[in-house]
Amino acid sequence: MVTEADRMGNEPREGSRETKHSPPLRPSLGPAAGATSAGSVMFEVDALNVYYGDFHAVYDITLDVREREITAFIGPSGCGKSTMLRCFNRMNDLIETARVEGQLTYHGTDLYAPNVDPVEVRRRIGMVFQKPNPFPKSIYDNIAFGPKITGFKGNMDELVEDALTRAALWEEVKDKLQESAFALSGGQQQRLCIARAIATSPDVLLMDEPCSALDPIATLRIEELMQELKEDYTIIIVTHNMQQAARVSERTAFFNVRLNERGQRTGHLVEYSETGRLFTNPTEQATEDYITGRFG
Amino acid sequence: MSTEQHYDPITGGEARSQFGAQLSDIKRRLVEMGSLVTENLRRAGVAMAEGNLDLIPLIHETDGLIDARYLELEREIFETLARQQPVAKDLRFLVSATRIIYEQERSGDLVVNCANMLQREGGFPEIPTLQGILNQAVDAAARVFAMSVDALADMDKEAGTTIDRADDEVDNLISRYYTEIGREAEAMGLETAIALTRVGRFLERIADHSVNIGENVTYIVTAEMPMPEHHHVTPSDEP
Repeated sequence: MVTEADRMGNEPREGSRETKHSPPLRPSLGPAAGATSAGSVMFEVDALNVYYGDFHAVYDITLDVREREITAFIGPSGCGKSTMLRCFNRMNDLIETARVEGQLTYHGTDLYAPNVDPVEVRRRIGMVFQKPNPFPKSIYDNIAFGPKITGFKGNMDELVEDALTRAALWEEVKDKLQESAFALSGGQQQRLCIARAIATSPDVLLMDEPCSALDPIATLRIEELMQELKEDYTIIIVTHNMQQAARVSERTAFFNVRLNERGQRTGHLVEYSETGRLFTNPTEQATEDYITGRFG
Repeated sequence: MSTEQHYDPITGGEARSQFGAQLSDIKRRLVEMGSLVTENLRRAGVAMAEGNLDLIPLIHETDGLIDARYLELEREIFETLARQQPVAKDLRFLVSATRIIYEQERSGDLVVNCANMLQREGGFPEIPTLQGILNQAVDAAARVFAMSVDALADMDKEAGTTIDRADDEVDNLISRYYTEIGREAEAMGLETAIALTRVGRFLERIADHSVNIGENVTYIVTAEMPMPEHHHVTPSDEP
């Protein structure tokens, strides 16, 4: 049950570390993970448009993302799926010319409201990138870094172990926590980056092509891990690998490119549905053409 | 030289032309396999009508070809599924193709069963009314089976319903044929009456397999499996 206090977002999550260091949010970013049920709407995107200067990159996107599910964004290069992903934690703010119009709410709160702190947004909504990008530090410090700068005062060893365990990496690294993160394999580095994202207690993980630099076995391990993570986290993944979307996600959004009236290649949402349905019986011909590789 | 093509919805282009060609080839061979069954059924019809036992070895030989094609196609469909990881219509086509070759192969066996009945009897009794109606029933069954072949060739989305309707004609003829056997049973003897009855059942089942093929074609095109009132799910081809 969601109480008014939950909705205010100031109810500490049980055993939560954030209560020790997070300043109260103004306004609330909604209940923490677990406070509402899996499958309920977490993000509501309504008529979202993204511009880079004069360039209209993403056109009029409306979709819902549900809690503790894996949502996949697929589509050809330039279809706006990564741009769209970056809207969910305001990463586009870091690009000077970027402008976002329309609405994107998270637990009912407008993420782009002037009084929302983008740093807090990014703590709640973590990101894992295409290429594993560990810090040039030890395995331990890669995990401890985020909590440290956000003022974590609890037992750091426990936090590091917990994050590494959740990312299915603990057994492989527990005896070499002080070694450089660069000594790990690509797949391990990516799981370390996932552990690092988890360490700040987010409730959403955004993944931008998280497996494209990994070999097939490392890829399958990340996919396995995603299935475990979705028990606690909501995941949005951008992938070029359609089979990956088919394997891991509950819902799939297919984005495509079209020319707008100014001759610009603009990304738009073609079809968004349950993954099983999208891959056996898509509604739109453009989706069918893309997923079967036959078009034109 | 790179021939790799990227998906570009604006300029178009085919990313998987080889895969497309593989699917077309499988479809062409399904049509051929179906045509062989139709042809063999018509041949069995001639043999039964004329009491021409000389055609029986050719019927067996043709069924051997059908069985070989069944195995070839099955292997190829499975390999394509494994290697191409098809989705959407391609997936429906390949999964349905495994069912369709089964229906075709079973139909082929039923044709052989008819020929075997003829062989065992050394020719059917020359009773004009009975012969007449048996000929009509064979014609109708062959026509319905040919419809399933055309449906495959044209990927006709209505096939599930149209073939089911055509099957009613076969069922009516078979039922009149049984009445006729009953009328003549005493004169021809029990064993012959049973043999003729079984031929009727075989023809009826061939038409049922045609309906199933038509339904699979409808499923490939529309993603909906039609469920007509008298859906033929009974696995047994024997009475």
